[in-house]
Amino acid sequence: MDLKRLKGIRVGVSLLFLGVFGFLFLDVGNIVPPALTNVLVSLQIVPALTKSIVSVGIWSGGAAVVLLLTLAFGRVYCSSICPLGTLQDVVIRFAQKWNRRRRFRFTPPRYVLHYALLGLALALFLAGSLVLLNLLEPFSNFGRMIQGIVRPVVVGANNGIAEVTGWFGFYGLYRIPFRPIDPVIVAMPVLFLGLLAYLSYNHGRLFCNLLCPAGALLGLVSRVSLFRIVVDKSTCMECGLCERVCKAGCIDSDNMKIEFSACVSCFNCIKACPTIGLKYEGLFGKRSGSIVPGADEGRRRIILGSLAPIALLAGTSIDSVSKGPVRKREEHPVTPPGSQSILHFSGHCTACHLCVSQCPTQVLSPSFLDYGIGGIFQPRMDYHASYCNYDCNICGTVCPTGAILAVPLADKRLIQMGKAQFVKDDCIVITKKTDCGACSEHCPTKAVYMIPHEKLFLPEVNNDICVGCGACEHSCPTKPRKAIYVESNPLHLKAQKPQIKKLEQPTEKATDFPF
Amino acid sequence: MDRRTFVGTSLGASALLALGKCPGVHAMPFSVPTEVPYDLVAVRGGEPDVMFDRGISALGGMGTFVKKGQKVVIKPNIGWDVTPERAGNTHPKLISRIITQCYEAGAKEVYVFDHTCDNWQRTYKTSGIESAAKNAGGKIAPGHAESYYHDVTIPSGTSLTAAKEHELILESDVFINVPILKSHSSSMLTMSLKNLMGVVWDRGAWHSNDLHQCIADYASYRKPTLNVLDAYYVMKRNGPRGVSVEDVVTMKAQLLSTDMVTMDVAGAKLFGIEPNSIRHVQLAAERNVGRKDLEKLNIKRIAL
Repeated sequence: MDLKRLKGIRVGVSLLFLGVFGFLFLDVGNIVPPALTNVLVSLQIVPALTKSIVSVGIWSGGAAVVLLLTLAFGRVYCSSICPLGTLQDVVIRFAQKWNRRRRFRFTPPRYVLHYALLGLALALFLAGSLVLLNLLEPFSNFGRMIQGIVRPVVVGANNGIAEVTGWFGFYGLYRIPFRPIDPVIVAMPVLFLGLLAYLSYNHGRLFCNLLCPAGALLGLVSRVSLFRIVVDKSTCMECGLCERVCKAGCIDSDNMKIEFSACVSCFNCIKACPTIGLKYEGLFGKRSGSIVPGADEGRRRIILGSLAPIALLAGTSIDSVSKGPVRKREEHPVTPPGSQSILHFSGHCTACHLCVSQCPTQVLSPSFLDYGIGGIFQPRMDYHASYCNYDCNICGTVCPTGAILAVPLADKRLIQMGKAQFVKDDCIVITKKTDCGACSEHCPTKAVYMIPHEKLFLPEVNNDICVGCGACEHSCPTKPRKAIYVESNPLHLKAQKPQIKKLEQPTEKATDFPF
Repeated sequence: MDRRTFVGTSLGASALLALGKCPGVHAMPFSVPTEVPYDLVAVRGGEPDVMFDRGISALGGMGTFVKKGQKVVIKPNIGWDVTPERAGNTHPKLISRIITQCYEAGAKEVYVFDHTCDNWQRTYKTSGIESAAKNAGGKIAPGHAESYYHDVTIPSGTSLTAAKEHELILESDVFINVPILKSHSSSMLTMSLKNLMGVVWDRGAWHSNDLHQCIADYASYRKPTLNVLDAYYVMKRNGPRGVSVEDVVTMKAQLLSTDMVTMDVAGAKLFGIEPNSIRHVQLAAERNVGRKDLEKLNIKRIAL
């Protein structure tokens, strides 16, 4: 195969994945089947590995594919599959367009720092705090950007067009209700985008080789890749073009060496080379290239360096969920069905917000520090915004990290995420002495039911069959405090099935009229 | 923000600014035919579509209500993400038949919508109404966003003096109200009067401000051209959403009337509840929204 075609293929594949993953976060009408989404996101290495720790499944296949690809050809993931990588390439492309003199230079990779960050993120993860992983993981950052920045723009444009088509009686395009925008939730991805744009504009793929945990991990794997890009000293003209187009800055053309574990496999060098001075070579072939020197020394420093801060950050992880920002009533955030417990959810969610994007009722909302610093950005069930559809299990099906596990519908209907708490003194029936019943109306199990009360009907709750879906809380019209709300179950429980009594079919003839 | 998103935002924003108010909104009453042969038509023993055919011809045919070139809006109950057998929503076969009859009577366009309780895309689909309506040539319209609703005042209201009505109610020539008969935890039963709650935006305001009075207030202001009560499957308990198919009886009945009070009194009797125990029906009758003295009315009973 002509290696010069590799770059073209890489560009095509990466744009395809950028489009696909971007669309998943904008798919308001759930056009992509959740099962397919599940397969697609399994190619995202950090989430897929996290999920594989929870349980082995189809996503483990995705992780294996990426690892094997890396083991064979290096960090193909970074340039082709990772949407955040492609996003940086877009910035880099503009940088080159606007500033034609810009050229990349060889920069010795800062392995120590990079691996130390990975080690720290991993150690924190094991200690139950995802703060570092959530801040740095590429797919999750990409998701939060699309969800937080692009989605409102797309929704705004859609609504503008839908408004016009509505005039002509065409309702094929419909208006999408805006989420109330929390400035912090939007500001964080904007800041991250700013940082990413700055880094990629000025330093190419520095994010991938300094901060990204996936980059560090795959960089380690690529140290033993079977095939790697090397300088062919017999054909190299020492023109240095390859170094100037290398956005990872991993080609040292003076010494004809390539830091392959920093290479993101963009194939720009192969394409740019006026001859065929760069080539893929088997690990066991003649070594004309270079393999990283002094790795051992680096490793030692990583281990030492990563130990100190762990104790600091790990301590603030799970405990802070209970001690953290305590609300007036809801002490803990309610976690989505299939997340098992706050501990499990917060310990596995990298806050990619795919569930937030895909939730049909939009009850899943991003949070900032509701789970403490260790659970930064992780979503929660927001019953002021909406409520959980009784017959829906999409969030668990699409979750790439295993924070929300896929649960069959029959089982999902029995997951008790929390329990409805009725505050009689706040209820319309008591305060205004009129009937209301909105809570019981919306309750899918009739855990909230109405009992006679002074010629009116007053709600009562049977917590045995309550699933904590929040339909009662959402529909309760009292302001500003709801007279019924869901208190989170930090550990999800199993609700009892609603008792179903046989109903007598009418005995009168089908031709009788009682009037 | 890159150039593309910037352009997108500006376009969206300017479009929104320019189109802030939807033109052509007039809160005009629907013209309800007064010369109909019966005050109430009750049909039993057939499929929903067959019963409708018989019922509407007893009322003089669809041509009595729909004239050539008119725009029709049908408001079924599509409130819940449940299948037709659960009787949470109007039967899709009935909706499809009404649409067909409208077109046969010369309607230009027939729209179907509801302000649903559960997620609208799911209820439209699960209820079977979306596909039934589309197959009959009807146009499905959304009702889930506040921007589809426009301010109207209700001068005759005591608890409810203003509301936001769906633009299709404001823009159509004919309004066909097609509720399903079922138990209801807030309003005891839901029938034609209660079904109108699905054409306004802020239902919470009704709930927090004397629900029964608000239902009656709104009915005193807005009268549909025709009401069709679906009682093919009837949810006898745990309404309005229901818990299982065991809440449902097969009644195979249907009522048609231009008078919502008459229909709801008959519906309550069909269900087996004393009509006077339902406060909003009482209040609506007191407000002269319609007549509840069934014994004095001209009723056509059709047994199939």
